[in-house]
Amino acid sequence: MWESIYAFVMVPMVYIAFGVFVLGILYKLYVVLSSPPIKGTLGMFPQTLPRPIGVLRDSLLVPTAYMKDKVFWFFIIVFHAAFLLLFLGHLELIQEFSIIQIIPHEIFLGKGFVGIALIVSTLYFLFRRFRPPYSLISVPEDYMILLILFLTMIFGSHMSMAAAYGVMGFDVSVADYRTYLSSLVAFRPVLPAGITYSPHYVILVLHIFFANLFLILFPFSKMIHSVFTFIAHNTKRK
Amino acid sequence: MDKQKIEELKKLIRSRLNRPMRYYLDLCTRCGLCYDTCHVYQGIPKREYSPVGRAEVVRKVYKKYFRPTGKLFPYWGDAKELDDNVMEELYEAAFSCTGCRRCMAFCPFGIDMPHILSIAKVLLIANETAPEELVMLTDAAVEKGESIEMFKEGFMDVVKDLQKNVQEKLNLPSDEGLIPMDKKGANILYVGLSGAHSIVNPAIIFNAAKEDWTLSFFEGVNFGAFAGDPEKMDFIAMRIINEAIELGVNEVVVVECGTAYRIMKFLMGKQPFKVSSIVEVAHRYIKEGRIKVKEGAITEPVTYHDPCQLGRNVGVFEEPREILQMLCTNYVEMSPTREYNWCCGGGGGLVALDNEEFRIKSGKPKKDQIVATGAKIVASACENCVMQLGTIQAGYNLDIEVKYITELVTENLIVE
Repeated sequence: MWESIYAFVMVPMVYIAFGVFVLGILYKLYVVLSSPPIKGTLGMFPQTLPRPIGVLRDSLLVPTAYMKDKVFWFFIIVFHAAFLLLFLGHLELIQEFSIIQIIPHEIFLGKGFVGIALIVSTLYFLFRRFRPPYSLISVPEDYMILLILFLTMIFGSHMSMAAAYGVMGFDVSVADYRTYLSSLVAFRPVLPAGITYSPHYVILVLHIFFANLFLILFPFSKMIHSVFTFIAHNTKRK
Repeated sequence: MDKQKIEELKKLIRSRLNRPMRYYLDLCTRCGLCYDTCHVYQGIPKREYSPVGRAEVVRKVYKKYFRPTGKLFPYWGDAKELDDNVMEELYEAAFSCTGCRRCMAFCPFGIDMPHILSIAKVLLIANETAPEELVMLTDAAVEKGESIEMFKEGFMDVVKDLQKNVQEKLNLPSDEGLIPMDKKGANILYVGLSGAHSIVNPAIIFNAAKEDWTLSFFEGVNFGAFAGDPEKMDFIAMRIINEAIELGVNEVVVVECGTAYRIMKFLMGKQPFKVSSIVEVAHRYIKEGRIKVKEGAITEPVTYHDPCQLGRNVGVFEEPREILQMLCTNYVEMSPTREYNWCCGGGGGLVALDNEEFRIKSGKPKKDQIVATGAKIVASACENCVMQLGTIQAGYNLDIEVKYITELVTENLIVE
């Protein structure tokens, strides 16, 4: 039975998750764009930079967070930068991208420290929510999403670290990952024996299960801020 | 609350789900960076007076009826059904907020919290629990717009008497035509308020500058916006827009009232005339040499309170400061200032409500700012702000005078 559950998580659930993720975001954008615009403008002043540059600066560098809480700002930047690096790392697990290898590196830049930086930032966000005033404004969603992220990362980090057990034969090779992930992309899913017979298979399944949950929740939770922040900052600078 | 009422209120929420509202309701992460940015929270440190605390009341109701997660798993986002308790929370949220948008300046996503609270206000109106004073004042303004002919004669008589003040100040031989009304083809339509000062001081400035102007029959103040009735807000603003179009003016100049100016300039769409604040116009006249003021005439320390609607919400920062720096030898800036300036606590129609004790408490950050400057004169360019600064002065026993920018200009005008 467990084999079937694992196989479900590794293949059909991944397709479901990506489907919900992509269609969900498109749906959310459709809802916004099909809603009536306001006849005036909700801009705020002063507007010192040209709008596109200002929108990018406000969205990507979060200067208001820097002004209000430098520690929080530091973890926001670390979290998002690490997230981006890990996303690139996962792309390299599908196939080689010479553009990502401009700076030659092993797959998953940072020798595991990027994942750890992400885990530490997530824990910071989580523990921050347990004290007032943040606990007073938090709802279960806030804790649950951070918990799902934490679990995704802790299992993912374990898989990354497990590569170091190679001599003892515990790791899943890059070649196996590429076989699995590129087969998913090609819609001809294959689960190589190097993955299913690895002692870490269950860890990988858990990593993918929580990542799937994350993707499914993404469009319908506050994580949609990563899309809407650009639109809202554009409104602020209109 | 019965089912029919809930259905009616749900329809109202749906009708307010415009484009920005959709993403403002979805993208808050409850990071808490806005938590202490509200002057009310600074004066009364309770969660319900934090910007996120207020917006969450609306957001939780929205989730319950418009989000699948709220419908299926209300616990997930703490979604709430509409009931009498929630209506009370909505009242507390909507009518403790001045709409200053200081929180928006600190929000990492630029969420416009007062825009979210506009949902709360329409629900309260429909539930007949919106503040009676604001609803009545809104209806009175609408009534005036619908039957202006009835009001015209009485208003013209009052204005005639005000012309004498202008004549006296400018040492003119006659008071005839010093406050023109209904003048077709005038360059400027000036929109005042019901208080004499809001007409006399600008009239002195216009006459000194030999401007071709005319006075509007309507007041600039928009109680429809304060009450949160978007249809009536539009109607009240449209009275002036129609008057300006009928008279064929080139420019509508709005009294020192931040909300009136923001509505006319930014919330009514494009108009076939220019929209300016009287402060910008006075500044323009001084720069062009059309009026002259006694430079350095005020030697006492003076500070300027940026009205939120005029400053961070419209972008008029420099003009009032340049006027004051010309008139004063000791101009002191408040800290924080400009877009981060603390709201005085009088906006959003709150000065029209019976809530003086609340406004004194919520005016604490402004009081602290004023005291830190050591200023003896606090200038501002908004009716609500000047009234609220007066309340703060009395409430905290401050040794200050509160003045309008136009008042300082006319007091120090060189009459030729």
